[in-house]
Amino acid sequence: MIFHTPILTLLLVSALAALVAVWSAGFGISVLRHWDLSSGARGQLLLERRTELVSTLFALVMAAEAAALFLFVFNADRMAALFVGAMCAVGTLNANGYGFPALYGQIASFFAAAVWLVLDHVDRLGRDYPLTRVKYAAVLVIAPLVLLTGALQLAYFLNLRSDIITSCCSKLFTPANAGISDEMAAVDPALALAALALAGGLVLASGVQALRTGRGHGLFALAGAGYFGAALLAMVSTIALYVYENPNHHCPFCILKPDYGYIGYAFYLPLFGATALALGLGAVSPFTARNSLRTPLPAVMRRLTLWALAGFAAYGAVTVWVIARSNLILFG
Amino acid sequence: MTALNRHRALLDFTVAALARRRVKTLALVAVFAAVVFLLASAMFFAASLRREAEATLAGAPDLIVQSLSLGRQTMIGAEAVPQLAAIRGVTGVEGRLWGYFYDRINGANYTVMVPDTAAMMPPPGQVILGEAVPRLRDFKWQGTPLFLSRREGDLVRFDIARTLGTETALLSADLILMNEADFRSFFNVPAGQFTDLAVSVRNPRELSTVVAKATIRLPEARFVTRADIARTYQKLFDWREGVMVALAFVALLAFAIFAADKASGLSAEEAREIGILKAIGWDTRDVIAMKLWEGGLISGGAFLLGTVLAYAHVFWAGAPLFAPLLKGWAVIYPEFRLTPAIDALQLGTLFLLTTLPYAAATVVPVWRSAAADPDAVMR
Amino acid sequence: MITLHGVSKTYNEGRPNEVTALRGIDLAIAPGVTVLMGPSGSGKTTLLSLVGCMARPTTGRITLAGEVISSLPERFLTDLRRRRFGFVFQRFNLIRGLSVLENVVLPAAPLGAPRAEVEARALSRLEALGLAGKARMPVEVLSGGETQRAAIARALVNDAPVLIADEPTANLDTALAHRFLDIVAGLRAEGKTVILTSHDPRIISAAPVTAVVELRDGAILQVRS
Ligand SMILES: Nc1ncnc2c1ncn2[C@@H]1O[C@H](COP(=O)(O)OP(=O)(O)OP(=O)(O)O)[C@@H](O)[C@H]1O
Ligand SMILES: [Mg+2]
Repeated sequence: MIFHTPILTLLLVSALAALVAVWSAGFGISVLRHWDLSSGARGQLLLERRTELVSTLFALVMAAEAAALFLFVFNADRMAALFVGAMCAVGTLNANGYGFPALYGQIASFFAAAVWLVLDHVDRLGRDYPLTRVKYAAVLVIAPLVLLTGALQLAYFLNLRSDIITSCCSKLFTPANAGISDEMAAVDPALALAALALAGGLVLASGVQALRTGRGHGLFALAGAGYFGAALLAMVSTIALYVYENPNHHCPFCILKPDYGYIGYAFYLPLFGATALALGLGAVSPFTARNSLRTPLPAVMRRLTLWALAGFAAYGAVTVWVIARSNLILFG
Repeated sequence: MTALNRHRALLDFTVAALARRRVKTLALVAVFAAVVFLLASAMFFAASLRREAEATLAGAPDLIVQSLSLGRQTMIGAEAVPQLAAIRGVTGVEGRLWGYFYDRINGANYTVMVPDTAAMMPPPGQVILGEAVPRLRDFKWQGTPLFLSRREGDLVRFDIARTLGTETALLSADLILMNEADFRSFFNVPAGQFTDLAVSVRNPRELSTVVAKATIRLPEARFVTRADIARTYQKLFDWREGVMVALAFVALLAFAIFAADKASGLSAEEAREIGILKAIGWDTRDVIAMKLWEGGLISGGAFLLGTVLAYAHVFWAGAPLFAPLLKGWAVIYPEFRLTPAIDALQLGTLFLLTTLPYAAATVVPVWRSAAADPDAVMR
Repeated sequence: MITLHGVSKTYNEGRPNEVTALRGIDLAIAPGVTVLMGPSGSGKTTLLSLVGCMARPTTGRITLAGEVISSLPERFLTDLRRRRFGFVFQRFNLIRGLSVLENVVLPAAPLGAPRAEVEARALSRLEALGLAGKARMPVEVLSGGETQRAAIARALVNDAPVLIADEPTANLDTALAHRFLDIVAGLRAEGKTVILTSHDPRIISAAPVTAVVELRDGAILQVRS
């Protein structure tokens, strides 16, 4: 089922990302071996200029991966008509064993590229490029991840057969079915919302602390990751029910459909953006004491923290709005 | 704010630079837009056919029961009707009569059917025609009778009750609707025999149980659900669209190579300009950003232009470029307006397909030109 | 104040076409007007490019207002350059097809100041140089002297404290050369530093010049103040 326009597009994105990853990894090795800013040699200058290319490529890859992430889900949703038992993206992703791993890989690649871009941004603030080696060591970790994601995606699409009977969200996200997704669905709504509120409180507290003292971004990143988890849990167990106004429909993908006014994007865009920023801040936090970063870094971290907080707050605000507007009553 | 102002200033320069090379820019956009046009037309066309088929299928029966003999479909006997009707959940069973007729006069294949509603039933000796049939037979005036010849020396005359409108689209264009008695005598079908049976089921969720029970009662029969047909159509259209897109993809690739070549073979004038910009204080990043804006404007412009043209081509003009290729399962194809079927997935895919290869093809040459030595213009 | 310690610059290091353009330069450049002179190929332009943060020295140290700049990454060199230095090139290097004003605001583009503010600054510079009436004209129609003044306006649009000019009078007749010297005197009065190269005796002996550095074969022959 490779001959399907969105699939070809997704494979193109993966192929380009893989190309960039492999090339950057090769370049990263030569940076780790030869990087010497104090040298006035031409080779060092060329190395420096080449890092501009890598930064540009990574920015492009991240943008493409983010777009591909939504395209992947969107396409899975539309292809549901091809599979017996599939009503939305979940069914399509379930059509073989590679679907969900490919999705998770895509998400991980997106976060990895975003974190790398934050590292890159911070590195370029310091007059001695203090994080260059860290950055290129990170490339060596990210490259296999990108390749793995591409491979999972390819395996997924190559193994799609429309004569397969798959199971969709109604089966996957019901307590009757064993597995992690049904456990998420089975969580008591009150508990899930409380967890989300608690995570929100932690994010706010650690964020404000980081803003005030200029330290503790590692904690903020942890809280942000916690919020991400809590947000997904609350989505599957509770928020989705309010969106669909149906106490049994737990699907986290259907909310992206036009039938629900694309409300899902209002949830996921700020959530993913804010989580990426928080993780990036966490990745930078061990290096705040570097001499060359002391002056320029705090303002940047402050700004990124504020953006991250705004993103998390937006998710919370949309949640409250959806619950307030819904005709479904789960409590009281 | 600073970042915004910076991008605005870079964009200003880009626009001025593109305006100065107006002819070159327009030529590039035109070529690129042509590629996007091909790609977008293929996608719009296939999506619209898919929707068309879906709309037709919406009126199809829940379940079709066919009789098989030697693995091929044969006529099914009326005795199966009560057997199926007795199954719980089945609300109705109707025998259907339809078949194909090869027109030796012009080599076309018609679908001949007995309609299932009284409203569509023509009186004896008359037929209702699909839109394409009179056109193919080249009927000059109203009231021309239709003569069908089954073999050498045979000629059966039908008067035309009316012709179906073009809005009923693809699947009905080659249709001839007949009275049951006329059908049986024309095709020599004995009473009590049907082409297949249409079964309606009260609750679609019970369909699989109904099929399971029916399989026990009619072990020789084949059961085709509406979802089965839908999937077949989907696959058919997707495959065709895929081939088209693969072709357009090759065109896109060729264009990307062309663009990369253009971007790396900077004219002396452009190279000098970039040298000046670097010397007066533009960073490598600034030049790259400026060039990416340039690429964005070009590919964005080509995307808009190509998409709008494709829309007009497919939905207003009826896709004259592709119709024979994509529809071509019959000798005849209908003249009909495709209903616009555009969604965010298509547009998003198209946008990625347009901008990404262009960005990928030009980024390295752009970087190469941006990484020029700033002191080069001093010499 | 700009200082150079043991600065040398070698092009195409380690290759057969290796050229050492500068060797062991020790120099301090004070505010005022400094002229670099010397025969063709003696390294004047190379020295300007090192001082102006266009390139990094192969060896040695350069400081600008007390800060070592010789080992900065290119990006920070660029940032320093566009805030501290304005350049007037021998061939002026305006971008054809753009208007005078569009050319003059170009160095400000990457800095992200509001457009209205930048244009106001550019117009006041053009005004001071007597070019206000030609701001909207394409640069191709300017005369030689006007082209140079447009280039000077561009060099000063970011309010750089140092103006660097390579052979500024080589293409000008005597009257225009004097006009240029008047502009330089005005800049000096504004408290700016001006660094020029020239073999033009009219320039070297002119009134506003505070120091003359003579180069030969990439080394300093003598410094006169
Ligand atoms: N990019 C380069 N690559 C190789 N050699 C160079 C380069 N730039 C300058 N040179 C060499 O360095 C030496 C000094 O050049 P420079 O341009 O500084 O001289 P100059 O004093 O400005 O001469 P002129 O008065 O002719 O402008 C020359 O021999 C020149 O050929
Ligand atoms: Mg020179």
